[in-house]
Amino acid sequence: MTALPAISMGPAANAFRKEVRDWLGKHWTPEKQAAHLRKPFKDRGYDNEFSKLMGRDGWIGVGWPKTFGGQGRSASEQIAFVTEVANSGAPAHAHNTSESIVAQALFLHGTKQQQDEWLPFIRNGECFFALGYSEPEAGSDLAALRTRAVRDGDEWVVNGQKLWSTGGDKADYMWLAVRTDPEAKKHAGISVLMVDLHSPGVTIRPSMALYGKTFSAQFYDNVRVPAKNMVGAVNNGWKVITDALAAERVMIGATRMAGLERAFDHLTEYLKTAVVGGKALRSDPVIRDRIGALAADLEVARQFQVRNARLVEQGKVPIHEAAMGKVFTSELQERLGQAALDILGAGGLLSEDSASAPVGEMEQLLRHSIMGMIGGGTNEIQRNVIAQRGLELPR
Amino acid sequence: MSSSQSPRIEGVSDAERGLLRDSVREFLSKRWPSDHAMERSGNAQAIAALWQDLAGQGLAALGADPAEAGLREILLVFEELGRASCPAPLLGAVGANLALAGQQSNAMRAMLEDLHQGKAMVALALGAFDGDAAAGKVEARGDALSGKIAFVEGAETATHFIVFTAPASVAVVASGAPRLQIKVTPGLAVPPLAELTFDNTPATRLDLSPKALADIASVARLACASRAVGAAERAFELAVDNAKVRKQFGQLIGQFQAVQHKLANCLISLDGARLALDAAADARDNCNPDWHVFAASALAFAGPALRTVSIETHRALGAIGYAEEHEAPRHFRRVHADLARFGGAPGARAALADFVLGPAA
Repeated sequence: MTALPAISMGPAANAFRKEVRDWLGKHWTPEKQAAHLRKPFKDRGYDNEFSKLMGRDGWIGVGWPKTFGGQGRSASEQIAFVTEVANSGAPAHAHNTSESIVAQALFLHGTKQQQDEWLPFIRNGECFFALGYSEPEAGSDLAALRTRAVRDGDEWVVNGQKLWSTGGDKADYMWLAVRTDPEAKKHAGISVLMVDLHSPGVTIRPSMALYGKTFSAQFYDNVRVPAKNMVGAVNNGWKVITDALAAERVMIGATRMAGLERAFDHLTEYLKTAVVGGKALRSDPVIRDRIGALAADLEVARQFQVRNARLVEQGKVPIHEAAMGKVFTSELQERLGQAALDILGAGGLLSEDSASAPVGEMEQLLRHSIMGMIGGGTNEIQRNVIAQRGLELPR
Repeated sequence: MSSSQSPRIEGVSDAERGLLRDSVREFLSKRWPSDHAMERSGNAQAIAALWQDLAGQGLAALGADPAEAGLREILLVFEELGRASCPAPLLGAVGANLALAGQQSNAMRAMLEDLHQGKAMVALALGAFDGDAAAGKVEARGDALSGKIAFVEGAETATHFIVFTAPASVAVVASGAPRLQIKVTPGLAVPPLAELTFDNTPATRLDLSPKALADIASVARLACASRAVGAAERAFELAVDNAKVRKQFGQLIGQFQAVQHKLANCLISLDGARLALDAAADARDNCNPDWHVFAASALAFAGPALRTVSIETHRALGAIGYAEEHEAPRHFRRVHADLARFGGAPGARAALADFVLGPAA
């Protein structure tokens, strides 16, 4: 039971949704769920074995073109899929970056050999990538990156440092943005390499992020990468990076949205019956007003997702529209987390590991909201995109 | 997605809606040009003449036949009225068309015919169905009405009033009816709202279910919110255009990140409000039983969001947009006047809380 009425995604997506739900019902069993919850929080959401199972049954590459072995599903169906998986709590993070960003780039810029080699590997749920983009001096200004790759025979030799790679310590491969021409203008001298993280010279240093999972810094010290692992032409990496981001933004938005709806459902389920200090919380006019406002915001966030999906289905690339969805949804997550603290009081500080927690996940939702506002380009950068691309204001 | 693949009850396509928008915008730009919009808003004769022309375009029948125009088309036209600061009495017409469609009384049929020909102008008095706690109510005894209803738009030019009564019925009252008092209540809204007092006032009545009346009241709320979207968006466009040409400190003010981010936030609010209103209209047109939830979401969001757009628009325009002869102030008035009515955002939030949490214990 969800708090808000479902948005109809059309008959095809609704039927597909049921198919996904049935598969999850069969394979994401109560035993597996219980075992997953016994893992430390930082490891939840990642399960290589479950990724393999999804791969075996064709649930990786749902949105890929059929020519690349995918199901060729529409954006609506992909949103239905992502939402169902997120609602079930099944762990699908491990293969996420590979399935969305890496595969998307390989479709557009990979050689035939790369496509034949890497796409089945990803589709089988055995290939786990993380993103190596940010550096100490290159955050919002990603094109200022300095990690250097120099050609040596059939290999590239990589030296440098990367930061803030989500899941970097759990991955086997890094989708690494490197500078291959230091003389060119900053956007023009970048290339993309697929780097085996088990290679000599790679040091990975995980650190705990505020949301309770790790991200990692990596140090590359004369790491040798086969030349065949470069995706796209030398110095054409900026295009590879930006092309791959466009379609994938919609799916990231859908995942975040599903998480928000789930948290809102849990909060409102609790409020329906909770009695605190002899008073039914659901009768408190301040709480009712706050919940009403959040319900409206959630509906608007869903509509931004729907619009993005429609644009993708029409063969368009949502740029400022995707930025609007990202800004609104991530900031809504922050508002929802803050509202939960006001509504639940100190009880809102307790995680689900506390037996007396009223809802449990809300404090983590709040900590996680910061990531949504920073990751994938800060919301301030997104607002620049909206102003300059959407409104055509001068740079 | 939802609209393109779900079953449709009538045959207006996205392309046809685009044509409707273009034609209404074109018509209003000629017939109600921005230069004269302010002075004419207080001119009853100008409004009556405009109404004749709008009826000539078929717009006075909006809402009479869902196969011709559903809620999406109604909202689209209201958005255009908002853009043009046009006070045409369309709210009353839509209310009359929805309430009286298919009924048999000769008097009512004659009134509708006059309405569709542009001879009659109708104002809508929702009373107990308004949503604003201070809107008052009117009680019907036989064919006579007594009571008081506040916050009625278009009362000064109306030839007839459509009055929602308790017990639930819809009554048609001629503006010249005996013992009907119309008192103009000036304020932020232009033209001003009015208060109607009925004292055993004769009326023609038709029983309708409370649900049917509440449904029409919801349509009226969404229509006004759409008019506010149009007004907010037009003022916003003026602010964006100004930011592209106005120079201060040796550069275009649109280059300042403070201005860019302000305007980016406005675009998020405008698009969010329009998407939510579209979703509500789409749900109603497709007979979604939960359409009122989508409607409440749209109203709860649009209220604070569009009022903020209006404020931020003025901040981006600076003193240039502060003179009443500039277009922006009339949009400010329209946005605030349309969104504060009918219980406003707090009423919509309460309706959402009812849906999500159930009624208060």
